[in-house]
Amino acid sequence: MRRLARAALLLCVIGGASGVGLVAWPIGVEPPSTLESLEGNVDRGAYLARASGCIACHSNFEAGGAPLAGGAPLETDFGTFYPPNLTTDPNHGMGAWTISDFARAVRQGVSPRGDPYYPTFTYPFYAGFTDQDIADLWAAFQTVPAVPEPSPEHDTGFPFDQRWGLKIWRAAYLSEPDTSPEVGRSEAWNRGKWLVRGAAHCGACHTDRNLAGARIATRIFAGNDSLPGGKSAPSILSADLQAGGWDADSLAYALRTGITPEGDVFGGSMAEVVNYGTAFLSDADLAAMASYIMDNDLSGN
Amino acid sequence: MNARIWMTALVASSVGLAALAHSGATGVMKERMDAMGEMGDEMKRLAPMMRGQTDYDPDVVRSAADTMIGHAGTQMTELFPEGSNGMPSEALDAIWEDWEEFAALAEALRTSAEGMKLAADNGLAGPGEMPGGGMMGSGQGMMGTGKTMMGAGQGMMGGAPTQMMTTEMLAEMPVNAGFMAVTQTCSACHQKFRAEEN
Repeated sequence: MRRLARAALLLCVIGGASGVGLVAWPIGVEPPSTLESLEGNVDRGAYLARASGCIACHSNFEAGGAPLAGGAPLETDFGTFYPPNLTTDPNHGMGAWTISDFARAVRQGVSPRGDPYYPTFTYPFYAGFTDQDIADLWAAFQTVPAVPEPSPEHDTGFPFDQRWGLKIWRAAYLSEPDTSPEVGRSEAWNRGKWLVRGAAHCGACHTDRNLAGARIATRIFAGNDSLPGGKSAPSILSADLQAGGWDADSLAYALRTGITPEGDVFGGSMAEVVNYGTAFLSDADLAAMASYIMDNDLSGN
Repeated sequence: MNARIWMTALVASSVGLAALAHSGATGVMKERMDAMGEMGDEMKRLAPMMRGQTDYDPDVVRSAADTMIGHAGTQMTELFPEGSNGMPSEALDAIWEDWEEFAALAEALRTSAEGMKLAADNGLAGPGEMPGGGMMGSGQGMMGTGKTMMGAGQGMMGGAPTQMMTTEMLAEMPVNAGFMAVTQTCSACHQKFRAEEN
């Protein structure tokens, strides 16, 4: 039923626009030419890839898959999405890409062919990555062994298989992540904000989405009951976390180990986030993330 | 009013009361929830000790390990008869679809808890030896070398704990390692077999 409502909604929006123009409407902008001359740092890039969840989402370790060779399918109300192969394989991975292709994909969500990516890819959170961040990531991805396995095509029915529809989605919902430092806050807190609101994209799961699959800004961090695969994510609003017995110290520890203040151990997708992502971050970064999450101006509506 | 109606009313009301008493969990469902709760209490005691926030006490480690060993292996799996989920259980159907792995993880809980128990007198790792005192992956090792390929070593992280360290290996290591192995086992099982709560 929700799926039908979504289809109807999308068709209504499209009805008001010119379909022909949409297909040709170019999206994304050319990254600066200086990008190619930047020297990437593999270690820093691998660290940022961990923080950004690349490895968690684009690997299917449960099924014995190689790192970054393609992730477990995401079953959503719009269809089933397969996080693609990001290895250096030239045919099935990113082996034939340029760094500009990569920059456009990560920061703008546009494929080398100019097609918009589905928002299951959390590129909106990476829009603020600097050219150096991109160069570092790109250098790190060059170290990934090629895996010659094709990624399955996304399995979406009409109208969601019409990628040009995503151009409308982008026009309606795409906005820059708020990762900018705030005056009067510590350096650590601002680093935490950069990670939480950007790279680590906590809000991707912990925020409700509307019928079109876009995050509802006023519901940021208030939790989400309809994640892919029928999963859910609790509120990570500071007040709710405090009521649940959390503080900055226990939160940082949980991001390292999965162990909660109650002695429980995370399961589901949060276990993946920790095991393949945050467990690899520095103590300073985990403390920074926790200090931002436990003390910010966001509140439930 | 005949006896059958009285009987029905009585049964209905007692079922209702039981539901109120423990979120509706009865029988094996309640037993296993209690078992998980006991292990959670032990984890809650152990975590600050492993972090050096409370005084280290090997007796507490051994007693916690005994609690876990007592709930591991078949003691765990026999509390999950086929189809014993549904409200208010968080058990997923995957348990019975992949019983072999579920049982292997229940057994891994025993081997890792036994390793932690045997390591109790080894004490904690020195500062820096096991950063974070947490899971296997701890930033530095993976990032610092530069010669490590990105993503390499993930197989170990994602693999079943049965492929990880044995009781004998854990027994030789600082107690943090055993604690990590126990935590990894909890995590691996919850990741695949427990519904996410809200």
